[in-house]
Amino acid sequence: MGKPTHLSKADIAEFGRELDAIRDEVMNDLGESDARYIRNVLKTQRYSEVAGRALLMAGFLPPAWLAGTGLLSLSKILENMEIGHNVMHGQWDWMNDPALDSSTYEWDNTCPAHQWKHSHNYMHHTFTNIVDLDRDVGYGILRMSEDQDWRPQHLAQPLTAATLAAFFQWGVALHDLEVERLGKDKTFKEAAVQLRDIWGKARKQVLKDYLLFPALAGPMFAPVLAGNFSANLNRNLWSFLIIFCGHFTDEVEMFDESETADETRGEWYLRQLLGSSNLTGSVPFHILSGHLSYQIEHHLFPDMPSHRYREVAPKIQEICERYGLNYNTGPLSKQFGGVVKRILRMSLPHRRKRNTLTFETSTDAPVYAEAA
Amino acid sequence: MKPVVKKLLGSSFVGALASPLSVDDYLSLIDSRLSLSEPRGRVTHVVRQTSDSVTLEIEPNDNWQGHRPGQHVLLGVDLDGVRHSRCFSVVSAPNEPMIEVTIKRNGDGRVSNFLVDHAERGQLVHLSPAEGDFYPHAEAPRKALLLSAGSGITPVMSVLRHWIARDEVADVVFVHYARTRDDMIYAAELEAMAQRHDGLRVETVFTADGGRRLDDATLDVLVPDLAQRPTWLCGPAGFMDAAEPLIAARSNETLHREQFAATRREAAHGEGAVRFLNSDVAASGESGSLLEVAEGAGLKPNYGCRMGICHACKCRVAEGSVRDLRTNRVRDVRDTDIQLCIHAAAGDVAVEL
Repeated sequence: MGKPTHLSKADIAEFGRELDAIRDEVMNDLGESDARYIRNVLKTQRYSEVAGRALLMAGFLPPAWLAGTGLLSLSKILENMEIGHNVMHGQWDWMNDPALDSSTYEWDNTCPAHQWKHSHNYMHHTFTNIVDLDRDVGYGILRMSEDQDWRPQHLAQPLTAATLAAFFQWGVALHDLEVERLGKDKTFKEAAVQLRDIWGKARKQVLKDYLLFPALAGPMFAPVLAGNFSANLNRNLWSFLIIFCGHFTDEVEMFDESETADETRGEWYLRQLLGSSNLTGSVPFHILSGHLSYQIEHHLFPDMPSHRYREVAPKIQEICERYGLNYNTGPLSKQFGGVVKRILRMSLPHRRKRNTLTFETSTDAPVYAEAA
Repeated sequence: MKPVVKKLLGSSFVGALASPLSVDDYLSLIDSRLSLSEPRGRVTHVVRQTSDSVTLEIEPNDNWQGHRPGQHVLLGVDLDGVRHSRCFSVVSAPNEPMIEVTIKRNGDGRVSNFLVDHAERGQLVHLSPAEGDFYPHAEAPRKALLLSAGSGITPVMSVLRHWIARDEVADVVFVHYARTRDDMIYAAELEAMAQRHDGLRVETVFTADGGRRLDDATLDVLVPDLAQRPTWLCGPAGFMDAAEPLIAARSNETLHREQFAATRREAAHGEGAVRFLNSDVAASGESGSLLEVAEGAGLKPNYGCRMGICHACKCRVAEGSVRDLRTNRVRDVRDTDIQLCIHAAAGDVAVEL
């Protein structure tokens, strides 16, 4: 498993330099049109939220309820995926606009921004797909790699995964608690501090979506409550779908700690590439996915404004072809099929499957080997 | 915004409805100038008094708390997608409803040059509260000297307009240095004021048209009774450096100075190594202010005026030795917030960034 053996150290270094050059070209080109893009997304999100909540006030009419719930879902998806996630990555810090500042932005999610920046920006993006280090590999509750120990509870993981999908934002909120470390190298007291923090954040969403807006609607209390719940549910399902397709498709690579020790920049790039998978689709689909449909590009360049991944992707693909590397992409149906297969396969106790990567060419000496 | 509406929108109930966004995020859908707390303004009038300057009249929103004569304000504009803020003197007197600023073209000053070339009616500008203590007293003195050069005329004009508005001009001498007559902003207004007010004498010196630079002889001729006059002084660093000892030698009255653009006494450079702790990056401290060192190392610290006024770049220094670029004073600090833009490393420094 893990990294390919057909590339020499020098090849990998050159591969890294090529990616750096692509990154520099885009980052030096950021300007007015990028600012206009994100401002338009902000406007769309806010207008759809206002319109959605207004329509839900007339929620006794089924078309109004459906349209309102749809618009509010759209708003929540845009806010979490294309705005919140990307702003917190620092993709828009260059604009020097306090409203788009990664250090102060707070998103519409039960997970507090600063906990997310630790578990996601740091843990997941640094240690991507390294089993035991990247806690996004199964989130501590699912078995997503052969290298994770099988336990009887994993038999039920298709059900666990479905539940996680429905309540995904709550899973995300509790993620940084690192429950599996409790009582070992993390104290319950530390976790209690985090929990208070999570509740401080989560109760604002609960209050707003399940009490204040329904109460404002008076006799429309129930339809508004149901609409808000549905919008949160839709956002949960959608983000689960996109995020699982990003790292847990069938052919994505997992790594272990030993082979990633003392990684060079080129090797880090390589792991990001092989540990991620893309989704093909239309521009609106990419925007709704927060451009995480370009998971590969996002993992190579996490602080590049997301809409630029679209222009960068063909160049990455071309580089991958030249270096004989797998560029894992496909339509949602195929990629999610792979995710389902992996969840099912890993629910049963077995070890490694065969290496799915095949390389046509073998260049110089196979220096970078699994044996490392 | 009506006070009652503002109070309602500012209530914790409406705040909870907007959470986790702010009420401002929604207000700006209606009008980008609307905000519950941030001072913002819209350009309502653009005049180009000279070929290399622009005078803007800005209508502030109701978060603008007004200003005292001679104070300055940070103007923030978006250039090529990036918010830049720079400091400008407010020329209008406190009783005027609009904020007036005049901006001169300035070498590589991006904001100044952008506004001189492209400022237009309707443009949104971000404002800061007014700051500065050029004019600390409420009472006008019986006699005064206003002494300025170049764009340093702007805060001094504000003081003069304030006195004129309150009919307090008893015996004021206004000495202004410009390169040429065509180059001088507020020339026409000053001339008209001098004609209308017997208590105001205006002396202009055009240095590129044969006028002498400020020296003992000129000052004695133009302001023979300087000993009895408190002075308001503003101009480029060289002009201020020349004027201050001349004035101090002649008058014990108060000298009010507005340092225009926090002047760096020398090209900024530091020494030692700078470590940015949170990003785990190290860089040489030689290449400029700590802000420039951080940016050179690929970090993106917050910043605003880049001249020590707005405090946007303030950041905690865990420990190290820093030099204040305005005064050249070196000090050892530990767990101290400092402004990155006006400090350079004076030895190894560890910054929490």
